Parts: sequence; structure tokens; C-alpha cells
Amino acid sequence: MKLELQQRRAERVPEPGSAPVIAPGLTFKSITAQISSIVLSRPSPAFWWGAFAVGLLLLLVLVVAVTALLYRGVGLFGINIPVAWSFAITNFVWWIGIGHAGTLISAILLLLNQSWRNSINRFAEAMTLFAVACAGLFPILHLGRPWLAYWLFPYPNTMTVQPQFRSPLVWDVFAVSTYATVSLLFWYLGLIPDLATLRDRATSRTAYRVYGVLALGWRGASRHWRWHETASKLLAGLATPLVLSVHTVVSFDFTIAILPGWHSTIFPPYFVAGAIYSGFAMVLVLAIPLRSIYGLENLITERHLNNCAKLMLTTGLILAYTYVIEPFTSWYSGDKFEWYVVRNRAMGPDAWAYWAVILANVVIPQALWWKRNRIQPKRLFALSIVVLFGMWMERYMIIVTSLQRDYVPSMWWNFAATIWDNAVLYGSMGLFLTLFLLFVRFFPMISMFEVRELLPFSKPDGETVK
Amino acid sequence: MTPRLYGLAAEFDDAAQLVAAARAARAEGYSKMEAYSPYPISDLDEIIPGINFLPMVVFCAGAAGTLTAWFMQYWIAAIHYPLNVGGRPLNSWPSFVVIMFELTVLFAAGAAFFGTLFFAGFPALYHPLFRVDRFRRVSQDGFFLCIEARDDRFDLTGTAHFLRGFEPITLWEVDDE
Repeated sequence: MKLELQQRRAERVPEPGSAPVIAPGLTFKSITAQISSIVLSRPSPAFWWGAFAVGLLLLLVLVVAVTALLYRGVGLFGINIPVAWSFAITNFVWWIGIGHAGTLISAILLLLNQSWRNSINRFAEAMTLFAVACAGLFPILHLGRPWLAYWLFPYPNTMTVQPQFRSPLVWDVFAVSTYATVSLLFWYLGLIPDLATLRDRATSRTAYRVYGVLALGWRGASRHWRWHETASKLLAGLATPLVLSVHTVVSFDFTIAILPGWHSTIFPPYFVAGAIYSGFAMVLVLAIPLRSIYGLENLITERHLNNCAKLMLTTGLILAYTYVIEPFTSWYSGDKFEWYVVRNRAMGPDAWAYWAVILANVVIPQALWWKRNRIQPKRLFALSIVVLFGMWMERYMIIVTSLQRDYVPSMWWNFAATIWDNAVLYGSMGLFLTLFLLFVRFFPMISMFEVRELLPFSKPDGETVK
Repeated sequence: MTPRLYGLAAEFDDAAQLVAAARAARAEGYSKMEAYSPYPISDLDEIIPGINFLPMVVFCAGAAGTLTAWFMQYWIAAIHYPLNVGGRPLNSWPSFVVIMFELTVLFAAGAAFFGTLFFAGFPALYHPLFRVDRFRRVSQDGFFLCIEARDDRFDLTGTAHFLRGFEPITLWEVDDE
């Protein structure tokens, strides 16, 4: 009881000029009750049900589209030679890029000791997991014979054939499956202590049993915490190069092909910056409604919005730089095919995509230089949506405008999306939304034990995290 | 079956008290004890020591991943299913590097996760302390110190007297079956 009062009365003195990470007056008791009640006792708000209905509807669209695809084949999509890649690969790159911000928050910011990440890492990691799940669908659906997807893995088989390890497409299989596995392990490891909290607060027998089994018997012993922390730091250290490698390998899918517009050494950093850019946009798109619907403004504060927006602005500027350098290198190379791709992007049949990218990724996000746009939730939400749109268009632009003009003009052909292309794109959003809402409903969306560490009197020597 | 005594558990008000009590118990010569808290407290690391093999295990698993990936790719690309692609050497190791890196991370991450479960003895759905009703506060705002009966210096009255000296909220005899 004494601690409760002390914590409630403790003043938080932030560094001058910055908002506190979490609101003052929070106690171990209050944050535990606030976060676990969303899962255990509070009825789901109407917004949740509404969003869940939309998610399920879009998921149904995906199921129908995939069923049709399995039955009829990839001819349903608007693709043909030479534009053999379009929506499916665009969606793949877009989704997997979105996942990158979650790993950045959970791993890189952990290693950098950024305490503000503690209240947003859990749902950002969940976002990563579900974004990778959506991403993983597309290369498989795009295979032509998706039911033979397991041929991508090396395994002993009676055909005695094996994958070609000199191909970046095979690297991608390993990169994405490793990324998905490591993200899942990292996420679950962090969840274990919080699942124990849910077990200990459960009011129904079912919840007690389910969370009890999932918590694996966690009891907060100091030795267990030590292993838990060591494992978290090691996983963070492993996930940091991993996350940079995943989008690098994704960009290899393009750069290794000898195609003007793809065959470029700038692609790995260009893709990684774009991935984190779109990922932070998605973090904000999720965080802004969540904090207002569930009243989490005391845990996801202005400081979080501001920091995420600053990271978005930074990665956006890196991206803008590559948008300048890419045409420059094409021009400077003196290669007429390279230079033609640049002119075709800006003035060809899909010029609208190029200018939409410039507008959504470079021009409009400059509004983030103003602080009021970084901390005003509605404006920041709108800017994040613009960035997500821009990043999808960027991948579309890179893929389609490079393929539509082959070396020989007789091979030129323009891609037009079919209803099925759109169905899988919006359907994948339904899959993401459904999974994310189920996560919000059944798991603590903010890491309780990590927020406890930020509270006053959490350290034995009385030192407080600012 | 008659209950067997597992140990004496004391609940404290905050982290500072828990650390002070654990430190004193250590100085008193108790070694079979454990502190329980709702979040990690780094001060307990020296007080309640335990060898942490995890980094070593993770390193070995990572190295095993690198070697597995290289061997797999070398064996497939150069021996089992050799393909001549533009006259490139069959053991074209630079193009094997990516998967070597990926499997290094995969094996090491698996070892970090499953190693933690293994060292902690998880899943362990039963523990004597779970019989104490107040112990469910440990995952919320409770700080507990349990001195186990198997400790050589353990003596029910003496240890209880010792723990009471730190003014715990409550003190229990924890039974095991």
C-alpha cells in the first residue's frame, strides 16, 4: 500500500524541453489493471466490433480470391510477359517492409537503451508478425502452382532435384522464413511474463487455464528474469542485422536481374529506408486509434508520437535522397536503356504512379518538420496513411515501370490491374486487420513488465527513469 | 500424504526492501533461496548468483547454423545436384553467404528461446509457491523472497525470526506435496 501511494505521488521530472515517456501518477497496480482489463474484463468497444467486421469481410474477399486463384491460376491477375510481376510482388515487398519498424522498435531501440520503446514494442512486434504473415502469402500465391511451394526448400526427394542457391529468390525463402520465426520467438518470449499476469488476474476458469498454459509456469524468479533478459538482448542483437538483411535480400530479387531500373547497387539501403519509413507509418496508424479508443494516452504519449514521426521524417529524407540519386546515376551511366527507364517513369504510361510517389513520399511528409503535425494525432494519422499509400505506389512503380519497357520495343506492354489483383491486395489488409484485432482482444497490447520498469520506485536505489 | 515443507516465503513492500532482505540473507549464509518480482531487478544478479550458460549456448548454436548452411549448400550445389550456370565454379561460396547468415541467426535465436525455457525448466505449470494465494501478486506488484527448506542453514524458527526482522507484509510456510 505504501508503495502505491509513493508511486502515485511521485513527480516525474522530464529533461527540459521534452514530454515525459509516460504520464505521472501511474503505479504498478494501476498499469497492470489498466492493460490487463482490456483483455480480461472490459467489454470490447463498438469500434473494435466494427473494425473486426470490416476485417472479416475483407478476409472473406481474400479467401474467395485465393480459392479462385487456386482453381483458375495466375491468369486471373493482370500479369503477362513482360510484366510478369506486379501486384503480388508489390504487396509482398510492401507488407514485409511494414514489419521492419516493429523489429526496429523491439530490437534496435532495446540495444540503444531507448526507454520510450517499452510501451509501444509489444503491439509493434505483433504488427511485424502479422505483416510478415501477409507478405509470406504473396510469393506463394504467385508461384503458378502454389501447392508445390515446399519445393523451394531443400529436402531429400525422389526427383533428386534441389534449389539453386545462387538465386536471390531462394535466399529470400530463407530470409523471410527466418525473419518470421525469429519475430515469433522474440514476441512470445516478451509475452511470457505478461501472460503470467493475465493468468494471475484471470476471473474465469478458461482464461486461467489458457493463460496458465501459455505462461509456461512463469513465476518471476530472479534467475528466470536473468535468462529472460539475456535471451531478449541476444535476440535483439540477432534481429538487428536480420531486419537489415531481410529487405536487403528482398532488394536482391530485383538488383540481381539485369533489367534497367532494377540493376542498381543503391537498392539495399533504398529498400531498408523505405521499409522503416512505411513501418513507422503503420505503427502510427495502429497506435493513434488504439490509444484513443482504449484510453492509453497515459502510456502512449505525445513523446511516442513525436519520436515515431521524427524517425519517419528521417527515413523519408533518406528515401528522397535516393529518389534524386537514382535518376542521376542512370543519366551519368550514359546507358540509354537506363536513362530511358527514368524518362518512362516520369513521362510514360504509368507516370501517374511516379508522381503519386513523389507527392506522397517526398512532398506531403515535409509537413512533419512542424511539431504540431507530429503531436496532433489526427494530422499524424492522415500523414501516415499518405506515407503507406506512397510506399505501396513506390514498389508498384519500381516493378511495373521497369518491366513494361523491355529492350526490344516489340516486347513493350502495359499492365492493367484486374479485380482479382485488387481483391488480394485488400483481402490481405483484411487478414492483417483480423489478426491484429484478435491480438488486441486476447493479448496485452502493451508490455506490462517493461512499463513497470519505467515507474518511480521500481529501482531499489530509488533512481527513476526520466 | 503429509505435506513437506518447501520453504519460508516473505512478501515485501517494494524492490528496495526485497533487495535489502536478500542481501542480508546472503550475508547470513543462506544460498538456497530465490527472489520473485514483477519485473527484472538487476541488483539481485550478484545476490542470487547462478551460472548463465545462455550466451555460450547461443554462440555454439549460431556457429552450428553457419556450418550447417555452408555444408548444405556446398553438398547440394557441388556434389548432389551440380548445375553449371554460366561456367561459374560449383562451390560458389560468395552466393552461399546470405543463407549462411540466415541460418546462423535462425539457429542462434532458436537456442536463445528454447535455451531459456530449458534452463528455467519450463513449462513447469506447478510450483509449491503457487499454493500461496498472495503469490499471484508476483506478476503484478508483489515482491517475494523464499528461503528454501533444503538450505543447510534453514531452521523453521530461526529463519522465520530472521525474515521477520525485515518487516515483511506477511510470512508463510510454503508446503510441497
